[in-house]
Amino acid sequence: MTIEPAIALAMRDIAKRYGATCALRSADLTLQAGRVHALLGENGAGKSTLVKIIVGAVKPDSGSVSLAGKPVAFRSVAEAIAAGIVPIYQHLSLFPELSVLDNLSAFQLAAGRAGLSRKALVPREEARAWLARVGLDLDLDRPVSSLSLGERQLLEIARGVGRNCRILVLDEPTAALNGAEADRLFAVVRDLCAGGTAVLFISHKFDEIERLADEVTVLRDGATVIDAAPIGRHDRATLVKAMLGMQVEHEHRSGSARAEAVLTAAGVRMATGHALDLSVHAGEIVGLAGLVGSGALAIAATMAGAASGQGEIAVGEQRFALGDRREAVRLGVAYVPADRHAEGLFPPVSAIGNASASALSRFSARGLLGKTRERAAIEPLLRRLHLHPARPDAEAASFSGGNQQKLLIARCLALPNLRALVLLEPTRGVDVAARALIHRAVIEMASNGIAVLVASSDLDELTALCDRYLVVRDGMIAEDLPGSASTEAIMAALAGKAAA
Amino acid sequence: MNQVIAPRLLVAPAGIIAAGLIFAAIAPGFLSLGNAASIAGQAWVLVLLATGQMFALAARGFDISVGAIAALAGTLAAMAANSFGLAGLIVAPLVGLACGTLNGWLVGRLALQPIVATLGSLVALKGIALLVSDDGQAVPLTEAGQATSLAFDPVLGLPPLAWLALACVLGAQFLLSHATLGKRILMLGANPEAVGLVGADAGALQIRAYQLCGLFAGLAGALMTARAGAGLPTEGAGMELQAIAAAIIGGTALSGGVANAIAVAAGAFFVQVVLTGLNLTGVSPFLAQVTVGLVILGSGLMDTALRSLLTRNRQPKDVSP
Amino acid sequence: MSSFPIGDRGPSSMPASQRPPVILIVTALLFGLAALAVPRFGTLGNIENVLRIAAILGIVACGQAIVVILAGIEFSFGASAALASVVIVMALPTTGVVGAFLLGSLLILGVGMVNGLLVARFSVPPVIATLGMLMIASGLAAWLAGGLPIDAPPSDAFSFPARGRVLGIPVPILCAAAAFAVLHLLLAKTRLGRGWYLVGANATAARLAGLSVPRLVFSGYAVAGLFCALGAVILTSRVASGQPMLAPNLPFETIAACAVGGLPLGGGRGNVLQVACGVLIVAMLNNIVVLLNLPTAYQLILLGTLVIGAVLLQRDWAFLGNAVRLLTNGRRG
Repeated sequence: MTIEPAIALAMRDIAKRYGATCALRSADLTLQAGRVHALLGENGAGKSTLVKIIVGAVKPDSGSVSLAGKPVAFRSVAEAIAAGIVPIYQHLSLFPELSVLDNLSAFQLAAGRAGLSRKALVPREEARAWLARVGLDLDLDRPVSSLSLGERQLLEIARGVGRNCRILVLDEPTAALNGAEADRLFAVVRDLCAGGTAVLFISHKFDEIERLADEVTVLRDGATVIDAAPIGRHDRATLVKAMLGMQVEHEHRSGSARAEAVLTAAGVRMATGHALDLSVHAGEIVGLAGLVGSGALAIAATMAGAASGQGEIAVGEQRFALGDRREAVRLGVAYVPADRHAEGLFPPVSAIGNASASALSRFSARGLLGKTRERAAIEPLLRRLHLHPARPDAEAASFSGGNQQKLLIARCLALPNLRALVLLEPTRGVDVAARALIHRAVIEMASNGIAVLVASSDLDELTALCDRYLVVRDGMIAEDLPGSASTEAIMAALAGKAAA
Repeated sequence: MNQVIAPRLLVAPAGIIAAGLIFAAIAPGFLSLGNAASIAGQAWVLVLLATGQMFALAARGFDISVGAIAALAGTLAAMAANSFGLAGLIVAPLVGLACGTLNGWLVGRLALQPIVATLGSLVALKGIALLVSDDGQAVPLTEAGQATSLAFDPVLGLPPLAWLALACVLGAQFLLSHATLGKRILMLGANPEAVGLVGADAGALQIRAYQLCGLFAGLAGALMTARAGAGLPTEGAGMELQAIAAAIIGGTALSGGVANAIAVAAGAFFVQVVLTGLNLTGVSPFLAQVTVGLVILGSGLMDTALRSLLTRNRQPKDVSP
Repeated sequence: MSSFPIGDRGPSSMPASQRPPVILIVTALLFGLAALAVPRFGTLGNIENVLRIAAILGIVACGQAIVVILAGIEFSFGASAALASVVIVMALPTTGVVGAFLLGSLLILGVGMVNGLLVARFSVPPVIATLGMLMIASGLAAWLAGGLPIDAPPSDAFSFPARGRVLGIPVPILCAAAAFAVLHLLLAKTRLGRGWYLVGANATAARLAGLSVPRLVFSGYAVAGLFCALGAVILTSRVASGQPMLAPNLPFETIAACAVGGLPLGGGRGNVLQVACGVLIVAMLNNIVVLLNLPTAYQLILLGTLVIGAVLLQRDWAFLGNAVRLLTNGRRG
């Protein structure tokens, strides 16, 4: 550190408890004007609490926060926004029924004294300039509900950077962006930095962090373990170790694919209108690789009977109609949806109840439920997945994200005649330890002859698991690559640069 | 914006025309001027209740206590009018505002589900209305003639109270389309989680929405009292349902974020056209009630149908399932 | 593997259902206080009276509980009970007592099935569907009866469901006990009941887990209709007439009972003990209002306050419970 740049935000010794849970114990964070600062940490390390404190949504129990050297204590989000702190969230915070212009003006409309909305709206010319900055050209009166997911994420970014911001907080902003859109975002961020904005960048993707960030802070168990280290001082393994406090071992697998086709779509027409032909063999792990928005998730959902369309999927000799999830389960097709909370979890139901949901027929006779049999069958599965805390009767809502995901995996394992497994983003938002356990379970299932189809936007995950990659572009399977394909080859195929 | 709400806005006018044609064919005298005036006169109470309900629905809330609020407000206003003269009717919107504040506070500050909060106040307010009125006795206005004249004798084409109601509807629409408060309520309904993230106080907005709802219910209570020449503590039961139906038929999305006060007024007129038409065809009032029930179910089915239609149209091509 | 002990039966891993239920203590406390403070409350005659009221309320509340667990709400109970009572009395001369009761019950089952169809197949919000059915059923009841109650010819068979005794115990109380037992069986021991919890907790997840959501929702409203039918038969027998305005507050009282018992109206949670305690609390409070010679308007005010107050209080109880659990958990390491 040769010159001392201006400190935009300094947080010292921040602690925050929720009831009996200690979310932050002693967190430090220093953001410097004109630099991008990456924040790393496992889920549950306290990142989101720290962000909430920065943006004024939560008040810390102790510790100090100072903005450009002056101590501050925000009482509301509105105050933080007024002070020049602009948050951009991972979960879209747009208003679908309202127009693009209304959404761009949301901060102005939402805060301040009530009055005529005309005065609060961003002038149309200015609004167009904001959009152009992130590479968008949209009709300002269009409802946001008619935009694509990527467009919405860029719109949200345009709304944030359009404001005069001193500190920009980006919470996993690229989750919904394709490569070109992410590039656009990074260019905008650099542009802002050049203007003196301090950027806090939260991401799970090391590539992005290395590309964009100047420094990195690592949180573990509510405390800062690496404080503002320049990027490049620590290698990835060191950072991961700092996040986990332990060394993760990578699972290696040897292919177990057999000849027999288990899950087959032939001449199927998906809800998106695209044709689909795909076959997964026993013991094989097939990866559906696609950038966000490519349609890889839709293909996987279709194969599991979770999305509608025309045609049938064959499971061995038997068939189920597209969209008939019930029949698919009966034939042994397990499914882990992409959105754990909206589509997977039963929050008020016990861990056992969550895990047994697809296999109730196995535990019941003439409509009566055999709870002892249920417990006897499910508990070993939860133990195998190292459910933590080990409370099979606790409500699913009380577990961390990674352990909730384990419950969904256990639900697949519990299927009485499991033949095929379809996983969508199986470890999104899951901590590294849970991720390793989930991967191990998937590999185990494959070696037992289960056909596995994984759709993931996480290339590391696919390369760790798959025997074969199907690269999805524009809603269709564009290329079929062998398991030996290099990461570079897959990336090229994803971007559509490979030779046909 | 138009792409989203246009089909919703057309339902109520289309319904009025369709119902009008049917009744014109089967009920003699339906198309007479006198009948049109009678529909117009009777509809205003419902228009006000439905407009209030619209605010609650737009904020992704729900208020089943509006009928009870109107009855209590009308009764208390009648009592006030008997003590302080007709100006005492002003008590009704104030009572409505107070009840709305209570509902809003329960939902916005104590985070109760809207159905729990407003069900509780529905039952409790009914009880209070019975208590203040000596177990449901009507409270006749001493200046009933003057009050009914305000409600029935046209000045420039409409009775003064109807002008007032019309002004309230236009005011509500102005609020939605041109005021930050209206936009904020729509934002709250469109994405309740995000509204706090952009710096608004979601709880405070919920309180505002229920306050507006209560205020309009109170106004409806004043109108009811003026029309009847008496405060009717047990009136208004069932009106909340008609109000919800009218608001939905008037294009308000049950999922929040979409509302138009003028269309909601049209929705209320549709319900009134059906009721008056049935009355003219000599159908038992009990069967008319059955019809209202069917209209409510129909509105629910319509909301579902519209929602699935619109989501199909607006589904971005690359969104994942 | 053994480092993650699962299913150990240590005290802190005791499931929530095995801890002493707060609601039972509250019910007992209310009973004790009322017995001390309210004259005539503790007499045997009055207790039987409370139980009789609680019995009808409880039977119908069993139905409401199923719907609430499904994350729905049922407003048409009172109106469909009224419609059934009118039809029962009108059918009496032609079908005989048993036939009339059967007919009335089938009618309520029908109303429940229509509600179930609207909610399950056509995704109409439960509030709208059941409120619409409330209007329709009460309109039909008034139309059939001409707006006035019709008296039933007095007969022992007709009054048996309300006034009969078996082994000295009033029939309504026996019926309520049976209803609670059936509800417990359904919720805790059957696949159907488990399905209701799962659908109420997250309908999308239930569909993707392979459950037939429409069928489960439909069956829930239909079974709820059956409970309501039993309650309606007893009610009709008690008033010995067809009443188009039989029990206008029945839906409110049953919803209140569920809320007081601690069933979140968001669905996915709740057991028989909670429902039973909720019913007893509502019945006792109504009885106290009567015993204190207060206007019946107070019953309504109390009921409304109770719905809101109970939900608020329970949230705080839940909060306290979680805090305790986290503390004990933390101590284990």
